[in-house]
Amino acid sequence: MVRKMKIKNNALKIFLQPIWSENPINVQMLGICSALAVTVQLKTAFVMALSMTFVVSCSSFMISLLRKQIPKNIRIIVELSVISTFVILTDEFLSAYFYDISKQLSVFVGLIITNCIVMGRAESFALSNPPHLAFIDGVGNGVGYGSVLLAVAFIRELLGAGKLFGVQVVPDYFYSIGYENAGLLLLAPAAFIIIGLMIWLQKVLTKDRELNR
Amino acid sequence: MSDRMKSICFAFALCLVCSVLLTAASTRLKPFQDTNIQTDRKKNILMAISLIDSTRKYKAAEIDRLYNENIFKYFVDQTGTIVDQTAALDTAQDKFLPIYLAMDKQNMIRSYIIPVETRGLWGKIYGYLALQNDGSTIEGFAVYKHSETPGLGGEIETRWFQKNFVGKKIVDQNSNFMSVSVAKGRALDQVPEEKLPNYVDGISGATLTGQYLTRGLQEILSEYEPTSVRFRQNLLQCRMQTEVPWCEK
Repeated sequence: MVRKMKIKNNALKIFLQPIWSENPINVQMLGICSALAVTVQLKTAFVMALSMTFVVSCSSFMISLLRKQIPKNIRIIVELSVISTFVILTDEFLSAYFYDISKQLSVFVGLIITNCIVMGRAESFALSNPPHLAFIDGVGNGVGYGSVLLAVAFIRELLGAGKLFGVQVVPDYFYSIGYENAGLLLLAPAAFIIIGLMIWLQKVLTKDRELNR
Repeated sequence: MSDRMKSICFAFALCLVCSVLLTAASTRLKPFQDTNIQTDRKKNILMAISLIDSTRKYKAAEIDRLYNENIFKYFVDQTGTIVDQTAALDTAQDKFLPIYLAMDKQNMIRSYIIPVETRGLWGKIYGYLALQNDGSTIEGFAVYKHSETPGLGGEIETRWFQKNFVGKKIVDQNSNFMSVSVAKGRALDQVPEEKLPNYVDGISGATLTGQYLTRGLQEILSEYEPTSVRFRQNLLQCRMQTEVPWCEK
């Protein structure tokens, strides 16, 4: 009974860690490139987050499943093949069913292959843990990455274009009394600034706990 | 089995599984992707003549309907005469250039649309250039595929750049063929006033993309020049008669 509880807690911990205390973007500083590129709109950020979660969880699962068979000397290239298979599948799926979004995301779905998060999880977690935990770890990392993406996109789309998910939310009344969209937020540097502020915020919030430790 | 053998076998098996998976996915999804690409092209043709609003979202069926109602695909031969598909297919294909005609309610040609395919900085740029039936004024420009740098040359797919083209001329003041060029920076600062109708604003940081596009448009427009001349001389008063355009004089 106690053991079962422990396992459950362990899984929960693996899931929650990458979302906050080990967040891939804010703490590990991985995957920043795509976080700058796809966060102009919530819609693209959302699709990117989903694609990323799918790729990282599935590839972690597969690699963990094969971990005892993968020959050590070709392990990196095996990991890459598994990852790129899932990435290409995602890309093909998007261009078949969500053409407009896939056109907007352009190369960035394909570039998930080179995203350090996926490779990092495969190397550091999936190779040494059982498949179900690797899958949970993958989902956790996908959600951790995605939540930062969505937060950045929320700020950029709201303040930069006055919209959320493409729907106008800032009323016309605001514009008529002189409010203006901040065009800077639509440019890549703005994402840098927002992510920087978020990292700062997270550092401040977790500082006390780290001192207590 | 030696370690090396094991690695080779593993790699082979993995490649086999992955390639089977990818081939299956790609063949199953191909028809959907092709339809999407077709719809996207139709959408861009309609966008070039401002029949659809780029800020609104359209259903595929809506685009198909608008396209079928307004756009007709024909070919032009080297003298600029418009012929239909069967005539073009009968003889050597390369002498004929595709052209899209946009018809108004009276079945008169409102504008003609030229497919643009030109070299860019990193790859080809594909799009459509629409000209009014006076044979000299640009009605619109749309790009549907390119591999330019996102944020720099990639701006050619944005609305502000494409809007630049609207109302520009492909002829100079004396009605001689001039083509339309992309200026380096703002056209207003770079180009003498009498040449302004032939220049659009460039994209900062994408001078080379602009140069390639300028050269490409010049080449393509000069290929279609015989047709444009006919439009300019008002020779192409086409009417649709039982599916075939009746053109000339």
